[in-house]
Amino acid sequence: MSEPLLSIRGLRAKVDGEDGEILRGVDLDVQRGEVHALMGPNGSGKSTLAKVIAGHPAYEVTAGEILFEGEDVLELEPDERSRAGIFLAFQYPAEIPGVSIANFLRTAVNARLGEGEEMDVFGFQRTLTEKMEMLKMDPGFAARYVNDGFSGGEKKRNEILQMAVLRPALGVLDETDSGLDIDALKIVASGVNRLSEADEALGVLLITHYKRILNYIRPDRVHVMMAGRIAESGGASLADKLEAEGYDWLHRAVAAV
Amino acid sequence: MSTMTAGPAESTLAAADFDTLAGGLTEPEAIAEARTAAWERFTALPWPTKKSEEWRYTDLAKVGFEALTPVVPAPATAEALPADVRDVLGRSGERAGVVVLREGRVAHLELEAGVARSGVVLCSIRDAADRHPEVLRRALLEAQPGPAEEKLWALHLALLGGGYFLYVPRGVEMPAPIHAFHIVERAGTLSSAHSFVYGESGARAAVIDEFLSGDLDAETVSLHGATITGEGGAGIEYVALQRFGRGVKRFSTQHVTAGRDSRVVTFNVALGGDLSRADITSRLDGPGSDSEMLALWFGDSDQHFDHHTLQHHAAPHAHSDLLFKGALTDAGSSVFRGLIRVDKGAQLTDAYQTNRNLLLSEGAHASALPNLEIEADDVRCSHGATIGQVEDGQLFYLMSRGLTRRQAERLLVFGFFDEVLGRLPMEGVRARVREAIEEKIGL
Repeated sequence: MSEPLLSIRGLRAKVDGEDGEILRGVDLDVQRGEVHALMGPNGSGKSTLAKVIAGHPAYEVTAGEILFEGEDVLELEPDERSRAGIFLAFQYPAEIPGVSIANFLRTAVNARLGEGEEMDVFGFQRTLTEKMEMLKMDPGFAARYVNDGFSGGEKKRNEILQMAVLRPALGVLDETDSGLDIDALKIVASGVNRLSEADEALGVLLITHYKRILNYIRPDRVHVMMAGRIAESGGASLADKLEAEGYDWLHRAVAAV
Repeated sequence: MSTMTAGPAESTLAAADFDTLAGGLTEPEAIAEARTAAWERFTALPWPTKKSEEWRYTDLAKVGFEALTPVVPAPATAEALPADVRDVLGRSGERAGVVVLREGRVAHLELEAGVARSGVVLCSIRDAADRHPEVLRRALLEAQPGPAEEKLWALHLALLGGGYFLYVPRGVEMPAPIHAFHIVERAGTLSSAHSFVYGESGARAAVIDEFLSGDLDAETVSLHGATITGEGGAGIEYVALQRFGRGVKRFSTQHVTAGRDSRVVTFNVALGGDLSRADITSRLDGPGSDSEMLALWFGDSDQHFDHHTLQHHAAPHAHSDLLFKGALTDAGSSVFRGLIRVDKGAQLTDAYQTNRNLLLSEGAHASALPNLEIEADDVRCSHGATIGQVEDGQLFYLMSRGLTRRQAERLLVFGFFDEVLGRLPMEGVRARVREAIEEKIGL
């Protein structure tokens, strides 16, 4: 088998300056082109894992490694990880008043192109319009300030829009489905599917509390996180089992270890 | 170089007397008069020290005025547009006229023919002193700033002669802005220019004063004064865009008089120079008048910016709103000191004053001193100031999209500034200011 897109080994992490590990030995591989769902109860460490992969400065990694395309990324700054091809769709995206989506995304696109290779305004606008159509977004959306006064659904769509424009190798979607009504969920899910179709090598790590989104995005693998580590992995049917039986049986299994 | 023989003899300010300042120049009586009186006041007055509240954070003792060579502007010439001015104009939108000043001397002046036919006057201050001496005299008298500014104001007037005069007659609405370029080229000089903007009742006008120089290798001082008057129902938009190079220290004294139901917007942008101070007064002179005072600054290296404001409500039912925002990095520093003064008769005043500061580095320092002085009893006034840093959550979000820390910080500064930029009414003016800020911030 070729080298995984993302390979996490024995990862332990805590909030910087606090005691008590939140991640307590995570092992996870995502191959190119695969969609992985990461499920688990609240507080199990799913979102922490997402932020640690993206390099959030509030967390300290105490042990283990994160290899992305074979390279250790733990020493990389968040922007370097992004330019390397890691994308995090935030559960709670920051609001940036005064900065339009178009301006922000153009800066982000140009940040990954070399000096003098920057995309011209018209080329960028074409790309942006095309991706916005895919996500059924109003063209006026690009002129709005980033997430400023957005509804929950708009924020999540904006995250997927950014992923579509920035074209990462790995998308980590942190509870992108939470707070969405069924129509918004379908749009977001179809956006992710279209991105997967357009780029067969795209790896997705879909973090979710609910099975609902998995009715629209078919995962290749499902993992369950409990108390800071992966407690169970399986195929798509594992999500069905969790839906039917909840997490209790896993709690008992973990407790028994 | 033949113009040099007509100019005044060159000496330092310390060695100068009025005759050397004026030497060889014939000038209109109104100017000669104002200059003589001002020179006497200037020599009699002491320099303000750090003991005065107004100068506590900006030390004039550190400016070597005495060693500078004063420049008294010679009469206007008609030169071709300099390349950098052509460059800016080529990228800017429509305009009704262009003025180029070199150390105050009008070197180029053009006014669109249609605008000129409507009665608009655009000329050098010298020509105005010949043709409209009373208007000029009255405006300069009204613009007399507070005691702490008097010394610099006297020096400005003693060097008066440079600058331009814009007069917009009753009911004339100018379709596009006048764009003036104040260029400083000679290191070690002390020069001065005055912007005179007058709108009769119902007139509409917009002006951009753009201040520029290269990086100069000796301390250089540029003085500037502006008198902006809107008669009843006039609408005036005035922008001072300061993007001097290093080595330049700049002092600007601006005075707005807003007549009945007029609306005057002033917008100061400080980006360049070593030290840049603006003393800005808005006098709400007529009932129903409206003054909007806006400013932005971005300081890096060891730049120092000082904004000193007065919203003076002399008439009832008037409205004034000040919003100043500054961002600093490296060892940049800034001062905002603002006062809302409401006279006893100025009932039903609506006055607001907000100063917000964003610090991007440990070494940057901002001081904010908003103040109220209210003698009327039926008013709505508020003032506030904040000094803060970039939010970590915003920074991480932007960096997670591939922006470097520097890019992310700069983009956040842009966002911080946008609220103020958005309040500039004319799109063309806004675009020019935005472009100059982008250039300075360097995204």
